Amino acid sequence: MAVIQAILDGIMIGGVYAVISIGLTLVFGVMGIINFAQAEFLMLGMFVAYYAWAWLGLDPLIAAPLAFVVVFALGAAVHQLMIRRVLQAPVVAQIFLTVGLLIVLENAALVMFGSSFRSVTTPYQTSALQVGELFVSVPYLAAFLMSVACGVALWLFMRASWFGRAMRATAQDPMAARLMGINADAMHRLAFALGVALTAFGGAVILPYLTVSPTVGGQFVVLMFTVVVLGGLGSVAGAVAGGLAVGIIQSLSALAFPIQLQNLVLFVVFIAVLALRPEGLLGGSR
Amino acid sequence: MRLGLSQRQAALIALALVVAIALPFAFDARGYTIRILCLGLLFAAMAQAWNIVGGLANQMSLGHAAFFGIGAYTSTLLLIHFGISPWLGLIASGVLGGVAAFAISLPTMRLRGHYFALATLAFGEVMRVIGNSWSELTGGPVGISVPFAKPSFAMFQFADTRTYYWLMLAAFIVVTAVFVAIKRSRTGYRLQAIKENADAAEVIGVDTTRTKIIAAIVSGALTACLGTFYAQFQYFFDPDTVFGVASVSIRVAMIAIVGGIGTAVGPLLGALFVIPLEEAANQVFSAQVAGLAQLVFGTLLIIVILVEPRGFIVLWQRLVARRKPGAPS
Repeated sequence: MAVIQAILDGIMIGGVYAVISIGLTLVFGVMGIINFAQAEFLMLGMFVAYYAWAWLGLDPLIAAPLAFVVVFALGAAVHQLMIRRVLQAPVVAQIFLTVGLLIVLENAALVMFGSSFRSVTTPYQTSALQVGELFVSVPYLAAFLMSVACGVALWLFMRASWFGRAMRATAQDPMAARLMGINADAMHRLAFALGVALTAFGGAVILPYLTVSPTVGGQFVVLMFTVVVLGGLGSVAGAVAGGLAVGIIQSLSALAFPIQLQNLVLFVVFIAVLALRPEGLLGGSR
Repeated sequence: MRLGLSQRQAALIALALVVAIALPFAFDARGYTIRILCLGLLFAAMAQAWNIVGGLANQMSLGHAAFFGIGAYTSTLLLIHFGISPWLGLIASGVLGGVAAFAISLPTMRLRGHYFALATLAFGEVMRVIGNSWSELTGGPVGISVPFAKPSFAMFQFADTRTYYWLMLAAFIVVTAVFVAIKRSRTGYRLQAIKENADAAEVIGVDTTRTKIIAAIVSGALTACLGTFYAQFQYFFDPDTVFGVASVSIRVAMIAIVGGIGTAVGPLLGALFVIPLEEAANQVFSAQVAGLAQLVFGTLLIIVILVEPRGFIVLWQRLVARRKPGAPS
């Protein structure tokens, strides 16, 4: 029973992991860049939701779209000022630009918000639903459902809208897309802004069961990379599978190992996948 | 000359060496400035060791803290439990660092670009988690102290900070010599070929994986030795400091990049710029706001990458070229 409970918990948190990691894989798929600062946008999303709760009295789940919009605008600006300029640069510049961005965002948050840990209080925070012998924590369930809704909306956007199709076209063949009259630069900007905004959305919906501080991103960096590498870098569907897998691995390893070693299991999985199947467990030969 | 230096270059290096050796006499022997210079030289040496993998093989490691921490803990634990002199510990550190580099190279060296950076980042984090959770061995998150002995050369402990300065200087010179030797060796040319075009190098018969693993082992072993230097200099450290992503891995890479990646002078330029700047920022800001010094550091990295990702050296060359009209830029 404990195993089934752990798997259920794993799916709940894994759904959120999927949404926060989709942005990473989206940016890589469209632009070939890994954003090492991605987890910092999660932290920003959490702070937007926190202040929406503290100042406006909004529930983090309701503030999640607000976090999305704010970070979307920030992402578009970051792309315009920085990311755009290294697209043709050597890999070293691409890697260390986003590493620099990571340091800047984390410490700017430290300067602005201080280093204290903050959390919100919601009426459903400690409640749980009982189904047979299984328990479903309400904040986990709420975050999971919000993530599913967000994922479905993204899927519809990528499938059905002109922007979504143009973005996928740019990812497949930038030159051909350009010849078809698609502005590749605008598509890159859209992909980057959308990517970081999705991560911020995920940050907002997990706020009811986590605390936020400027360094919270650090807990998610390797986790997010594990998710996208498991699913295959650049594959959005892979990120969903990877997110669920990481959620389940994490919650199952909590049964067997002490809490400090939970992340260790993830890191080992991560290095093993990179070494053995860098195209991802689901990916074909690429 | 065998080293292939022009007379002017040789004279410049000799002059720089004399100045570097004499420099400590200009400062208070137990003062603050000399400690900053020591740290600057130590980080210059670390960036140079990183440069062997990052600059020559073009593999962007974000996990060099793993080797650094291994070195710091190896010699310190040998000293605490068995009373073994840190000089012998230094050798043990180098061996273990090399072994660790070999172990992590096997699965990761085929990876390129972003993938390699990700894998090494995770490796560094694995070591940090182990350092924090294996408390019986490392003392855990509270950290570990190097036991004080009577200052003596044999125990690698000195009352006079200047002695540390000269040791750090020697360490930097040794690592730089290794870097230059590799760069000019057959392995160096193979690495150069891999950097220019890995597929082409493979086609003409360069065993790219083997060559990169050799570079990684040398780099890891040297970085671990420098970990021992750090431990003996600071007398106290904890897992988050010596295995830290920002405090070590990113910092050494950044120093090499800011100065000039792949060049022998770059790490020194980078370290002499970054470390004092950081210290100054800490002095000025930290009393008021935490994080401001780091903010300066990150902003600087972004600016250098956007303006000239090849670092200060190329920036300087560009400036000189602009001053001399008609000279080819």
